[in-house]
Amino acid sequence: MSVFDKFLAGWSFRGSTPDYAAGDAIEVMVTGESDGGVHVARIGDSTLRIEGAPGDAVDTRVVVDVESWDESSHTGRATYRKTVGGSAF
Amino acid sequence: MTDTTAGTPAATDGGDPPDGSDFGVGEEGSDDPRIEFRGGKWASTLPLVFFIAWAIFQSGVLGIGDTNGLVVGALVGTTLGMFLVRGDWKAYADTIFEGMTQRVAATAIVAWLWAGMFAQTLQAGGFVEGLIFAADALNVGASTFPAAAFILCGLLATGIGTGYGATVAFVTLVFPAGVLIGANPVLLFAAILSGAVFGDNLAPVSDTTIVSAVTQDADIGGVVASRFKYAIAAAVPAFAAYLIAGSAMAGVSLEGAVALRESANALGLVHLLSMGVVIVTAVVGRHIVEAISWGLVVAVASNLLFGLSSASDIVAFTVTEAGALSGLPVVEVGETAGVGGSLYTGAVGFFPLIVLTLLIVAMAQIMIRGGGFEAIQTFLLDRVATTVRRAELTMVLGTATINGMITINTAAEIAIAPYVARIGEKFNINGYRRANILDANTSALGYIFPWAGGVLVGYQVMVGPDGLGSQYGPEMVVNPIEVVPYVFHGWFLVAIFIIAAITGFGREYIPDRASEEVSRA
Repeated sequence: MSVFDKFLAGWSFRGSTPDYAAGDAIEVMVTGESDGGVHVARIGDSTLRIEGAPGDAVDTRVVVDVESWDESSHTGRATYRKTVGGSAF
Repeated sequence: MTDTTAGTPAATDGGDPPDGSDFGVGEEGSDDPRIEFRGGKWASTLPLVFFIAWAIFQSGVLGIGDTNGLVVGALVGTTLGMFLVRGDWKAYADTIFEGMTQRVAATAIVAWLWAGMFAQTLQAGGFVEGLIFAADALNVGASTFPAAAFILCGLLATGIGTGYGATVAFVTLVFPAGVLIGANPVLLFAAILSGAVFGDNLAPVSDTTIVSAVTQDADIGGVVASRFKYAIAAAVPAFAAYLIAGSAMAGVSLEGAVALRESANALGLVHLLSMGVVIVTAVVGRHIVEAISWGLVVAVASNLLFGLSSASDIVAFTVTEAGALSGLPVVEVGETAGVGGSLYTGAVGFFPLIVLTLLIVAMAQIMIRGGGFEAIQTFLLDRVATTVRRAELTMVLGTATINGMITINTAAEIAIAPYVARIGEKFNINGYRRANILDANTSALGYIFPWAGGVLVGYQVMVGPDGLGSQYGPEMVVNPIEVVPYVFHGWFLVAIFIIAAITGFGREYIPDRASEEVSRA
């Protein structure tokens, strides 16, 4: 990202339920685990279920492939690809 | 339709994320509490709560801004907390030392010492007289002086990265000139504090900027670029507000003002070069100590070269009897032996605040070790931050509140940083956004209330030994509580972030973009 782009980033009003599309590869923080043991990333007030993540994935940053997304309920399903970092704390 | 960046996300180094340990945070916050208090975790907040109550009573209710008084309040609060500890009190005592040895305290102390020497040397070199000349020549009248001071102090603080240092320099050097010209002292002091907020928030070399970036896993350059929009959105209306208020609020009448105007000296403006050296050196990335040191060298050389001050105005050894060395330019004969000069006065003026800083970071550490901070975090995540909007509002108001309570804003920022990180991550809020929420509200609240460190350092210049009050009279001393409503940039910055949290202005999520590798200062 150029210096100019850095200054322009974020000049917008962003909703609380971001949407994604099947085929997107995104980096997310794994924020919890559902009752069934599937990992979940809460992005704003949207929810992404992540399959195939390591058992200790909560509070780590991972790259996932979005498999499907429902724009009406702002929920989706993704597949774990790799871990790229952890929580700042 | 996706509203995020599609395709492969930006590469990250995949290495260990920054843990903030350089600033004394991170590791401590993740440990189990080591101190058990009678009354539970919340009792660990007693030292800090007692100190805040003392500070409000002393400076807010009684209008006494004596920093040494706050030191006693901190000492009493720290002692009282010890009586609530179960078992061995040694752990409590050890935590006091642990807190005092954190790097954040040393960072602030070093910046103050150097900035104090620099500002005092410029004052000895007739910078105020130069500014009076410039104000007359440029026709900057009483009504526009606060707005001009806001911009200039903002530029200085952005350059040297320390809002406290900029406050000291401007209250020492520019404030008297403005008041003598007829500007309202309360408004002018507030404008200077607003400039300090602007610089503390935006400067890449600011300690608060560095802490905000490092603790939120974001690079400093990206953080500064991303916060520009918030800073400008608050600064433009603040500038307009100072123009309007400057016209509406009357100045004071000072005896001797006319005489001082006559002492206006264009040569004093040579110290714009001294200030320029500090700003340029800092902006190109030099350490703040190096930047101010170069400015100090230029200031001392200018004073001596142009006859703006004598060597003994800068450093003076006073002896009671003439001897072989009394012929030296820095040795004087007087009634009482001692050391003086601008370097001495500038540094010594900060000693009370330095002691207070050490005690505050110690009290914050007691709260961390006692579990008080963890209790607050659990409460926030379970009860308050239940949607992304509420999470961001919690981050904004939580940061503002903790900074409103703790005098030294960098210490407060470090205390609240783990909560901002953890709450933000639970909603995948981007590190840049988290850093901006953290730093803007830290910077703003650090310069508004009477017990805030930024206000106290400025007030110290007014009431300290050889302060403005003793030099010019009581009209040159502003009661800190009167300043509160007029620190426009600070208030507007908080308002901008409340609006941003509600409307989503500037919000970015972690999937939107990855931070570059964090560059630690």
